[in-house]
Amino acid sequence: MSDDLFLDSFRKLLDGLGADPWPELSASGFLDVLRPEAEGGAGLDLSGLFPLAFETGRRSEPPAIVQTLLARLVDPEALDCADAAPVLAAGGVPAETARALCAAADAAVMAGLIDSLQAMTLDHASTRRQFGREISKFQAIQHQIAVMAEEVMAARMAAETALMGAPLEVSVAATAVAKLRCGEAALVCSGVAHAVHGAIGVSAEHALHRYTGALHRLRLSHGGEAWWARRLGEWALSQREDAATLARSL
Amino acid sequence: MLAPLVPAAISPEDEALRSEVRAFLAERLAGVPGALRARTWMGFDADFSRDLAARGWVGLTLPVEFGGGGRSPFARFVLIEELLAAGAPVAAHWIAERQSAPLLLRYGTEAQRQDIVPRICRGEAFFCIGMSEPNSGSDLASVRTRAERTATGWRLNGSKIWTTYGHKAHYMVALVRTSGGPDDRQSGLSQLLIDLKTPGVTARPIRDLAGDEHFSEVFFEDVDLPEDALIGQEGQGWSQVNAELAFERSGPERLYSSTVLIDEWMDFIRSRGGPTESEAELAGRMLARLATLRNMSLAVTGQLARGESPVVEASMVKDLGASFEQSIPALITDHLASVEGPVPAPLLATLDYLAGMSPTFSLRGGTREILRGIIARGLGLR
Repeated sequence: MSDDLFLDSFRKLLDGLGADPWPELSASGFLDVLRPEAEGGAGLDLSGLFPLAFETGRRSEPPAIVQTLLARLVDPEALDCADAAPVLAAGGVPAETARALCAAADAAVMAGLIDSLQAMTLDHASTRRQFGREISKFQAIQHQIAVMAEEVMAARMAAETALMGAPLEVSVAATAVAKLRCGEAALVCSGVAHAVHGAIGVSAEHALHRYTGALHRLRLSHGGEAWWARRLGEWALSQREDAATLARSL
Repeated sequence: MLAPLVPAAISPEDEALRSEVRAFLAERLAGVPGALRARTWMGFDADFSRDLAARGWVGLTLPVEFGGGGRSPFARFVLIEELLAAGAPVAAHWIAERQSAPLLLRYGTEAQRQDIVPRICRGEAFFCIGMSEPNSGSDLASVRTRAERTATGWRLNGSKIWTTYGHKAHYMVALVRTSGGPDDRQSGLSQLLIDLKTPGVTARPIRDLAGDEHFSEVFFEDVDLPEDALIGQEGQGWSQVNAELAFERSGPERLYSSTVLIDEWMDFIRSRGGPTESEAELAGRMLARLATLRNMSLAVTGQLARGESPVVEASMVKDLGASFEQSIPALITDHLASVEGPVPAPLLATLDYLAGMSPTFSLRGGTREILRGIIARGLGLR
């Protein structure tokens, strides 16, 4: 199956999930994509996981598909797993690798959530009218959304860069960049999205808080910005290299 | 919504250039203090530019038949990230190599291409860009410097200001009015090639807040220019300038302006033994930003290599990059202010220079506000 068809069928699956999604998800085979082909999986590496995690994030409150995918690396029967780190550790994966893998996947989900925040914000700014025109026509709004667009690009780039190679060889340093950068972007983009949506965006029925709430919960999981910044900084300061050389390895 | 950036990688062939450049710079810049290296693309050293050119490192991506290296944009990315991260003084040839040579190759006469571009590649012809005027800054379309047609070409009157190394360059590419008035805005503007030795041209350096003379004011009094001083089409100056600014905004020079300071600071922290938690956190935050920006800049280089014109994406990287570069002196000042014991004087000198000059990072090559306007247009908001 080509990459596009593969992703398209995953999107259709996500959009069609019912009240009890797990039987359907299990039957789809998507939960086993990281498992070896010899064991019925698709043998994907992390670059194959990235678009799936990103698409999952774009849907705000999906079932715990991405963490379940990771848990199945060691437990083929895992279902509805909210946090793969203890499962991976129990399965013999070093704790540091388990945490990094989960955090890198979190970052990709966050990048997807942030992408949706941008889409919602652009849509709202272009339809909501105040002072006789769309609020997107005001320079103050345009510049906030421009900043948001930069953060959307940065978050995606950081997450996509961390999700490369074999799952159990995930780079701790690149994960640190991704979780930290996506956490920073989440704050900026959540702020802009709510500012542009105004009071409408804080009503219970509006979807916005489901996205910003999901981002908030992911900032709390598997290490926050400062935690990963310290790990990255300790590594950087233990090397005898200049900043540009260190950045090139990330 | 914009299409996402596609991560790009540098080929081993282009990457191989790095060790050669590093070896050259290690020798050439040995003993140069950080405060001087932090000037990098504002540091003018004609001898240094000619030495780079002798190694084939000026005009790396320009065609071989005009004296260039015929290499890919990724080879240039490797070269310039090494030059800038090390803080090499590249201002003398920078504008000519990056903007003026591609402009002349695209719009110049055959005589100009044959005469000037090879001299740019040899580090012998330095250029400045005449855009701002006393009453025209970000509102570039309001320029008043004017060229009138004569029997033999053009007669130029007016002045330019804040022109980077206008008092040291050999040529200026200026945006001037060739028809209509300021109310005609973008129409009636043209680009002119001015040999700065022409009678009637005077240039006066302007001292900046660090005591350097990196920019200048250039006056034109009845300057007679030949017919072929017109670059491209008369009246098309505005669109030509915007195409040119895309070159200026797309390179990695918008990430590395403060890396000399990061390096000196990290060396200081290492010299004090194990980092404290807050020191490690600060190093990590700076590095995460730098690494992400570099990967974004590399992706924009990939767009250039595919022949795309990533005007909006380049503006995003420049805006984000300038904010990053500006944050470095502020963050490091905050840390050093809380350190017990002496801070090395060279580190403080680099810090002082960048604390003073870092506001320029979001002014030159398009202000933050102009860039955000370009991004908003790219998003369909205006």
